[in-house]
Amino acid sequence: MNSAPRRVVVADDDPDIRALVAISARKAGLDVVASVEDGEKAWAAIQEFTPDLAILDVAMPGMTGLEVCRLVRADPALTDLPVLLLSAAVDEASREAGDEAGARDYLAKPFSPRALVAWLTTEWARGE
Amino acid sequence: MGYLSVDHPSPALKQLPTAVAFAIGIVLILTVPGIEVTNEGLAASGIALMVIATMLAAVFTRIPHFEQWAIVIPLIDFLAIGAFRAGTGGATSLFSSLLVLPVVWIAAERGRRHIVIAGLATSVALFMPFFLGQTPSRDISEAFRGIYSPFIFAIAAAIINELSRQSRAQLESIRRLADDKEIILQRTVEFANQLQESEAQIRAGDRLFRNVWAAVTEQSVIGTDVTGLVDAWNPGAVKLFGLEGDQAEGVRYVFEFHVAEELNELSRELNYPPGETVLNPGFSALVESARLGRAESREWTYVRDDGTQVPVLLSVTKRVNDAGETSGYLFVATDVTQSREVARLKDEFVGLISHELRTPLSSILGYLELLRDDEDNPLSEEQTRYLGVAERNAHRLLRLVGDLLFTAQVESGKFPLDSHDVELDRIVRGAVESARPIADAAGITLVEEVPDVPPIVHGDAIRLGQACDNLISNAIKFTPRGGTVTVSLRVDGAYAQIEVRDTGMGIAESELDKLYSRFFRASTATRNAVPGVGLGLTITKAIVTAHRGELDVESEEGVGTCFSVKLALTPASVGR
Repeated sequence: MNSAPRRVVVADDDPDIRALVAISARKAGLDVVASVEDGEKAWAAIQEFTPDLAILDVAMPGMTGLEVCRLVRADPALTDLPVLLLSAAVDEASREAGDEAGARDYLAKPFSPRALVAWLTTEWARGE
Repeated sequence: MGYLSVDHPSPALKQLPTAVAFAIGIVLILTVPGIEVTNEGLAASGIALMVIATMLAAVFTRIPHFEQWAIVIPLIDFLAIGAFRAGTGGATSLFSSLLVLPVVWIAAERGRRHIVIAGLATSVALFMPFFLGQTPSRDISEAFRGIYSPFIFAIAAAIINELSRQSRAQLESIRRLADDKEIILQRTVEFANQLQESEAQIRAGDRLFRNVWAAVTEQSVIGTDVTGLVDAWNPGAVKLFGLEGDQAEGVRYVFEFHVAEELNELSRELNYPPGETVLNPGFSALVESARLGRAESREWTYVRDDGTQVPVLLSVTKRVNDAGETSGYLFVATDVTQSREVARLKDEFVGLISHELRTPLSSILGYLELLRDDEDNPLSEEQTRYLGVAERNAHRLLRLVGDLLFTAQVESGKFPLDSHDVELDRIVRGAVESARPIADAAGITLVEEVPDVPPIVHGDAIRLGQACDNLISNAIKFTPRGGTVTVSLRVDGAYAQIEVRDTGMGIAESELDKLYSRFFRASTATRNAVPGVGLGLTITKAIVTAHRGELDVESEEGVGTCFSVKLALTPASVGR
């Protein structure tokens, strides 16, 4: 019904990772409307663009990805916004913290761009 | 002990009065006119006998062996005096009284029979003039003198005998007492010596104790009675609490230095029955283990009087008196503020390092993959190979970071296990299969021996797989080309056993116990330039231990090594 590409907000404090995520998103056919380096900017971008997906790094200076995720879940206008968390912490506790914050999924760094593209494509399909 | 000669006079001493008195008699005869010798022969034989008796006395004195025959001497004395008396006037002789002296001698000997001997001997001596015909007329009075006088002498002898018996008895009891006294004295001396010795020991022990007590300044040692009233306060406690001994001993209770909530929490955990049975639940909880004789160390928080708190590792033990009753408790505490801080910093550091290393590795691996997947600019075969090398090494670095983080987690006790019922044969097969390409490349035969019935254990499949991978990749690394690595899985009673056996270079026996320490590398590994950092076995050991299993190793240098992992089967799978 909506032929315009799905829009995504990407946030990671590492510019290379941020670019890698953006490249993967574009490969999956998404429109990266904002690529930012901290939680505050990510939250501002989400509010500004109301994207179809947010890909957030957990460990960012200032507001963390988890905190942004909680804000998203707390906002009634953003109930349907899926959040994908990225983290270098791979243990079970971090994964659970992501679940509790209301993230759709949790991707451990280092991640394979191929896998991310696959995930985004599936998510896209699910959104259709 | 020796006796004085008066206690036990020698024959010579006993003979001395008789001989002297006899000699005086002779002198009197020679000097005083009117004292006459009536029969020179008898008088002379009397003197001769006296000389013999005196000489015998001298001999017997010199030779103690003959002393039992000393009684002969007074008997000869009797004969000598009898003869002398007979030769100096018989019944009228001045020397009749000399008889008293041998009578005293004989009578003083031990035994009543000597009274009779003395009487008879006197009688013989007195009758001598009569027997020897020195009595001109058969005077009846002379005969009576021979009976009556001995009778008197015998009475005197009886008295002397009795007196000497008594005095002997007294002497003996005195000697016994003296002996007893001597023994007691000896014992007293012994006791005094022992006392001195043990006093010296006690003093040395006391000195040692005082020195140790004063030397412990980094641990707080507090002694209390059974109610918790402080009665000992070491320099460490002074330092930790800033209170001198006299400000605590006898005036403060040990639980005043604890956080009340912590004590209450433990007493709730111990589930004391409510009410009067436990007067001070907090204190009772604090000493519960010690009271039951268990040694227990746990973390508590001490509170200073100014309200500041100190985390401590506290061991509580009970003090026991001579009767074996609990007389109080000892609280030995170590301030763990610093070690906690160090542990926290270490965790933080490891976390930071692993994050900081992972992020660039993520970029490297991610962009390498983009390169490989770039359909617009396909890589040449050579470039693809170079890319593979870069990827492999980036992955190796990533594994190393993971291993480091994992060992740090194990050390700090944060070791998450995601446990389920696991089919061990799948794990072993998986590990063997993933190692096969490496084994093939290294020219090593990889043999798999897995039973048909899968043994099931409760555990974390990923971690157990990691343990198997580590053991197998180690075995391959340490086995020269052409060797064999055998991975077998067996069920042994209630246990499953995974064995990884190689025909490699082996490990020196002296190094076997160090294998599991972090960053330890066997000398065979360094000598043969086998790559590695020494974390694999540390991790494997930690994984096996976390599964309550056993990791064992047997090895012979130049022959091979066999690692075995023993894990408990789930109860349902035992005996299938």
